Amino acid sequence: MPQTITEKILARAGGVDSVRPGQNLPFRPDHMVAYDFPGYTDVMFRQMHEDFGITELAEPERYLVFIDHMLTKGDEKERDIHKVTREWCDFYGVTLHEAEGIGHQVAAELGYATPGRFLIHFDGHVSGLGAFGALGWGVRRDLLEAWVSGQIYLDVPATVRFDLTGEFGPGVDNRDLVHAIIGRLGADGCAHQVMEFGGPGAEAMSIDRRQGLCGMAMFTGAVSAIFNPDGRALDYADAVARSPYEPVASDPDAEYSSRHTFDLSTIEPQVVLPGSARSANTHGVSELDRTEVTKAFIGSCASGRIEDIRDAAALLDGQKVSAGVELNVVPTSAEIHRQAEREGLLDVLRTAGANIHTSSCDFCFGYQKPLQPGEKCISTGVLNISGRMGSTASEIYMGSASTVAASAITGKITDPREVMNR
Amino acid sequence: MSGYPPPPDVIRGRVAWIFGDDFDVDLIIGVENIKYYDADVLRGVTMQAYDPDFVDKVEPGDVIVGGRNFGYGHPHYPPLVALRNLGVAAVIAESFSPGFWRGETYNGMPLITAPGITDHVRRWDPVEVDWRKARVTLPNAGTTLEGTPPSERVTKIIEAGGSLRLLLAEHRR
Repeated sequence: MPQTITEKILARAGGVDSVRPGQNLPFRPDHMVAYDFPGYTDVMFRQMHEDFGITELAEPERYLVFIDHMLTKGDEKERDIHKVTREWCDFYGVTLHEAEGIGHQVAAELGYATPGRFLIHFDGHVSGLGAFGALGWGVRRDLLEAWVSGQIYLDVPATVRFDLTGEFGPGVDNRDLVHAIIGRLGADGCAHQVMEFGGPGAEAMSIDRRQGLCGMAMFTGAVSAIFNPDGRALDYADAVARSPYEPVASDPDAEYSSRHTFDLSTIEPQVVLPGSARSANTHGVSELDRTEVTKAFIGSCASGRIEDIRDAAALLDGQKVSAGVELNVVPTSAEIHRQAEREGLLDVLRTAGANIHTSSCDFCFGYQKPLQPGEKCISTGVLNISGRMGSTASEIYMGSASTVAASAITGKITDPREVMNR
Repeated sequence: MSGYPPPPDVIRGRVAWIFGDDFDVDLIIGVENIKYYDADVLRGVTMQAYDPDFVDKVEPGDVIVGGRNFGYGHPHYPPLVALRNLGVAAVIAESFSPGFWRGETYNGMPLITAPGITDHVRRWDPVEVDWRKARVTLPNAGTTLEGTPPSERVTKIIEAGGSLRLLLAEHRR
């Protein structure tokens, strides 16, 4: 029976020959991942130990914990939550990665997300690992089921196939593509399904772009997103793999619930209005008024990778951030931070007036330098619901790193192609 | 949060509210209040933007109805805790956003996908929900809608009063 890459990964994780969409089965993830956060991990830690009476783990190597949130205040609450996490990981022999960057990126850099692997997390942005031909699925509190039993019951999802042609034009990238997809298909266009990207436009897309694209899958309603592993993904995986891995790929005659073609060369920069990424809020930048902004942010698990920083630096080289704007740039990981420093990109950004911050998730959820009432921010963060980055009386617009950089220069939401051409 | 009794086999009540498409549940209590779990606080902020008297009108067994992609956004748990506290016993929608569906299924809330529901109900219509069969009977409309029944696993979760209770029964050492 022909299978998609997702079905093959789930069949292996389910210990069966094949699966079909709609089946509900228990699956054994290769890695069961979390970042520590109050109300999530501290509760799960207590439940496992006290409520379930679990005092040792059969396979601690399948558990993975990151400290990537709440790293920038240094207050007592922060110290307490991380202390609990360190003690728990130490007690159970679970690997902890602390302050090395955003976990969804660090998991890739450290070779946990090799092709064919199945990873779950309570946070849905783990779908970014689909860039490598791994399946990353955000399961919310059901992570506890996997942590106490080693397996998780899931409905096998159908797959929506995206055939990508052409290449991104100047000033356009994966961020514009995902919003263009939502604009065309709606915020539930891929509901309960997996997005699979293929075709020449997918093959031409860099790993960074693939990660950013897959990481935003949830806003189409998808449970995950994935690329079939090709030379780029295998080269990356070979350099970082912690253990042998078995790549799988969709059969040519695999069944898809629907297919959509997107010509990347026709996509224009997209901006999402405050509230949510629903299609009614999604517009080509040229359709919009040039709204004034006070803050600009490049970072999060959906951006802040080396190519995003290169794009921002190219636009800001020799320019200045507008007097009324504060531009904050957060590389996605410590490794990316070091690379951007080596390439001289961070100096370009600093000279232009940008603030460069240590890698963490803290800007994106309003913990670090929260937006004040009345502020307007243009952001590469993942969410623009009211209050996400600070005050509920502030507003968040979303776009690509290029759009954020261009807007930081002019002080207004701006098409990056205008800044490039002047 | 996960300490609710399982629902009866057939939930009988009224349609307490009808929400539109892509509805963000955080708006039920207002985004300023999404971190509160205290019952009194939640009661004071529930549905204030829609019907200030909602908390006094709703009765145990009532349900809420949603349009397409109900729960879209970045759903937090307190809004449904607030509705549960009032006795809201199920959510019926044209379709559910996956993140919301997973989070509330964990909490044992029956979520019934019933395409066509928003065309057939008005506020306070009586409704009967056989959640195991995903069968929604609407006497005023003279209609019965059938959705896709929950999987065996999800049925067990709802019968247990939430996933935590089921997992404790299965895996406590």
